[in-house]
Amino acid sequence: MDILLLVSIAQSILAATWRMATPLIYTAIGEIFTERSGVINIGLEGIMLIGALSGYVVTSYTDSLFLGISSAVLSGIISGLLFSLFTVTIKANQIVVGAAFNMIGTGLTGFIYRTLYSGGSTDKLVLDTFPSIKIPLLSDIPFFGEILFQQNLMVYATVVLVPLAAFILSKTAFGLYVKAVGEHPKAADTSGINVTLIRYISTTIGATLAALGGAYLSMAHANQFVEGIATGRGFIALAVVVFGRWSPWGAMGASLLFGVFYALQLRLQAMSGNVIPYQFLQVLPYLATLIVLVSLKGRGAEPKALGKPYKA
Amino acid sequence: MKRLLTLTTVILLVAMVSACTPAATEAPTDVEAPAATEALAATEVPAATEAPAAEEDTFKVGLLSPGPVNDQGWNQTAYDGLVLMEQELGAEISYVELGESPSDFEKAFRDYASQGYDMVLGHGFQFQDSAVKVAAEYPDTKFFVSSSYYYEGTNVYGINTRSDQAYYLLGVIAGSYGDKGGYVGGVEIPPIKEGEVGFINGGLSVNPNWSVSVAYLGNWTDVAAAKEAALSMIDEGATFVTPNANIAGNGVYQAAVEKDVWALGSFGDQTAQAPENIVASYVLNYGRGLVNIAREVKEGTFQGDSNILLGVESPDVMYISYNEGAKEVVSQEVRDKVAAAIEGLVSGEIDAMAGYEQ
Amino acid sequence: MPVIAIVVALLVSAVVLLVAGYDPLEAYPIMWKGAFSDQRTFSEVLLKATPLILLGAGLSLTFRCGIVNLGAEGQFYAGSVVATLIGINFANLPSYLLIPLVLLGGALSGALWAMLAGYLKVRFNASEVVTTIMLNYVAIIFTGYLVTGPMQESKVGFPQTAQIGEAAWLPRFLPPTRLHIGFLIALLVALLIYILLFKTSTGYGIRAVGINAEAARYAGINVRRNILLAMAISGGAAGLGGAIEVTGLTYRLFQMISPGYGFDAIAVSLLVNNNPIATVLSGILFGALRSGSEMMQMNLKVPSVLVSAIQGIVILSVVAFSVYRDKILKWFTER
Repeated sequence: MDILLLVSIAQSILAATWRMATPLIYTAIGEIFTERSGVINIGLEGIMLIGALSGYVVTSYTDSLFLGISSAVLSGIISGLLFSLFTVTIKANQIVVGAAFNMIGTGLTGFIYRTLYSGGSTDKLVLDTFPSIKIPLLSDIPFFGEILFQQNLMVYATVVLVPLAAFILSKTAFGLYVKAVGEHPKAADTSGINVTLIRYISTTIGATLAALGGAYLSMAHANQFVEGIATGRGFIALAVVVFGRWSPWGAMGASLLFGVFYALQLRLQAMSGNVIPYQFLQVLPYLATLIVLVSLKGRGAEPKALGKPYKA
Repeated sequence: MKRLLTLTTVILLVAMVSACTPAATEAPTDVEAPAATEALAATEVPAATEAPAAEEDTFKVGLLSPGPVNDQGWNQTAYDGLVLMEQELGAEISYVELGESPSDFEKAFRDYASQGYDMVLGHGFQFQDSAVKVAAEYPDTKFFVSSSYYYEGTNVYGINTRSDQAYYLLGVIAGSYGDKGGYVGGVEIPPIKEGEVGFINGGLSVNPNWSVSVAYLGNWTDVAAAKEAALSMIDEGATFVTPNANIAGNGVYQAAVEKDVWALGSFGDQTAQAPENIVASYVLNYGRGLVNIAREVKEGTFQGDSNILLGVESPDVMYISYNEGAKEVVSQEVRDKVAAAIEGLVSGEIDAMAGYEQ
Repeated sequence: MPVIAIVVALLVSAVVLLVAGYDPLEAYPIMWKGAFSDQRTFSEVLLKATPLILLGAGLSLTFRCGIVNLGAEGQFYAGSVVATLIGINFANLPSYLLIPLVLLGGALSGALWAMLAGYLKVRFNASEVVTTIMLNYVAIIFTGYLVTGPMQESKVGFPQTAQIGEAAWLPRFLPPTRLHIGFLIALLVALLIYILLFKTSTGYGIRAVGINAEAARYAGINVRRNILLAMAISGGAAGLGGAIEVTGLTYRLFQMISPGYGFDAIAVSLLVNNNPIATVLSGILFGALRSGSEMMQMNLKVPSVLVSAIQGIVILSVVAFSVYRDKILKWFTER
């Protein structure tokens, strides 16, 4: 195979990588905030679906992407507050509440979508999505141009999101509070930090970003909502957080790794003469995660109070 | 102790209330339910003919669907058939979405058969075992199974659609204009695989350089993955992409729009998904096929001496719909080739599955 | 108290139904009928409950041990694969040998699949939240490969295996219903896990690890051994569930053999505060909701997917009630 072809294949795989990684980046970064404050939210899949549906519905009725995204954010905030109400105030088992959120997300979005769009006419179903924006000059750079500078707004936003999250967590007072609350809530409480408030905020940030991750699927990558559109990405995001050792940069790396495997397996299938059963390619990202996890040997940075409700 | 007593009382009260609520309303509901169903159906389908007159000889049809009936693909084809039966035959229709796990199928078949349904359709090969089992107990009900070749002389009939023929025709169109096509399948099951083979053979029949790049998603919902798969194919040089993946397939049309290549619609007229890039769709009016069967069943003329094949020989069931508003409209010359191919397929001169080991 | 919670959940769901234009007063009675109207419908509820009880009871053991095992789904698949393999390849054995062999094989493979996650946890400190999710995907995708490849019935056929031998079919004890001895096995397993967890020193060790692993270690309890044991038993129950699904109902392996039992079972266990024997009740509740929602769709066209939301709301209200139980009690007693 000649070099030029290989380069072009690599280029398109890498461009696809970033697109496929984006929903994971949003959702995982959010979950980092949640978990760093000591709350684990396994209901990400459900919240992604809720965000995907609310963004889609509002956009399809108003033709405004801005209103759509706003409503996805709003649905995320509501989900986050509800989740905090149950896990922080009521102090219920966080895994239970997360499992419930997944069920509610699946059931409610399917039900609402069916009720609103049962006619079967397709004209209203398709949205005008976030267009891909070619950044002048930069997008013409050979090889990297297409990968880095011809994406849509929600993909670009991850470039801001990751350093911003890293900055907030490591350099701001709020970030310190979050970590303190997640490591030693008792000590944090004694030193005057409002554990409840910090956990509410962190959990809501987490749910909001998960909703955005879902909205990306229905409004930016695809142009419509499909029942179950998250297809397990909420669970993968949980893995990404651990894989990335609770750091935003790590999560971005892990998301990109998932993205590259995902893109690679679709590409390998599409290449002629492929004889490998497609399941072998599909299973790669999951095996890779297991292998990396083993090689890390638990040098993770799991917050010490993760999953434990704080009782003052 | 006093607390405990109060608690027990409360629980008992609530238990009674919760137990009584359904019981109390149960009786009237039995009478009301059918009426409500009709009212609902009537609002859904304004064009519906009048509700059936006499209650006892209402023709009743049930559908077991392996996924959401509004998926704009496989499951919707059967649901559309149900709606048509209601409109044209005055049938009382009902459906239930069961997912893909076969453990629930037998129950649902029995639910319908025991309520005196005349015709029950399990919409997928995976329903066959359960249909066969239940059918033996309910000889008055006719059981149909989609994507099945089953016929053993009993009241279970497999219905198979020739998706190989449909995609053969799409292949003829694509091969007339380009050298490479892309085919995104949902899960690798025979109807999907047959479509792939047809797409390859159809293209080859008009273009010796024709090749098809193929990917399977492993599910029917990941619209994002379908889009990425199509983008990969376009990158591999495909100029015509087509999905066979239910609603996930919509991602393929989107990829075609973004990269400005041609798309071919599947299952129905998909023009709205990509008005400029979809040059043609294959329409499977499975519903029409079902109604034709149902009419025979209702009128007692149903032969039922073999399994059923639906293909291009029924032009009202499977046909190609061209998009006159596409950026490039399919030329008359190519349309003639398609028409010729249909003739060949009907007469048996052309085998859309040629070269595929059965 | 859970009864009140369920009523509240049904009220909340009623609002959802109303908003969507359905009449809950019409819908709920039909739902009830779909689950409890006669012997046949109730037997179907018990059939639906069977895997949920098995998986839920198993999960309660790991949750009590402080392990967030989200892998019952994968362990169920592992069990159903091996059970199918045995059921097909040893079809000539007599029933009294084949059925125990099939069930044992399923349980063993589920146990091994779960122990893999357990091993990764104790040996490499790999978070079970992640490993069990990953192993789910691996098991599901591998099953997909098997039924479209090596184990497929015929080369160009549908993604399903051949039928298992008739000798492997679980006996049905309440004809004409489909109710098979798998349900009784599930009851027995739930009881055994309950006894193990609360009446033996092994169970005490498992619970001690769950309450405080560090303290348990100081008290001389082998934490690693207990984690592996809990995972093995939990996975064994899930694998048994997979084996029973194949030998009791489907008689062959399909690509999507589970409609998500592994995830529903998490809720089934947590709903009753991880009490293995009580999963019988929550399993039946979930089975009834699912059966009822099918009837609701058949008669009223209410999308059956709503049942997931109702289940979720049930869990949330149970959770809220269990926490506020004391306050509510006080409210009643003070009057």
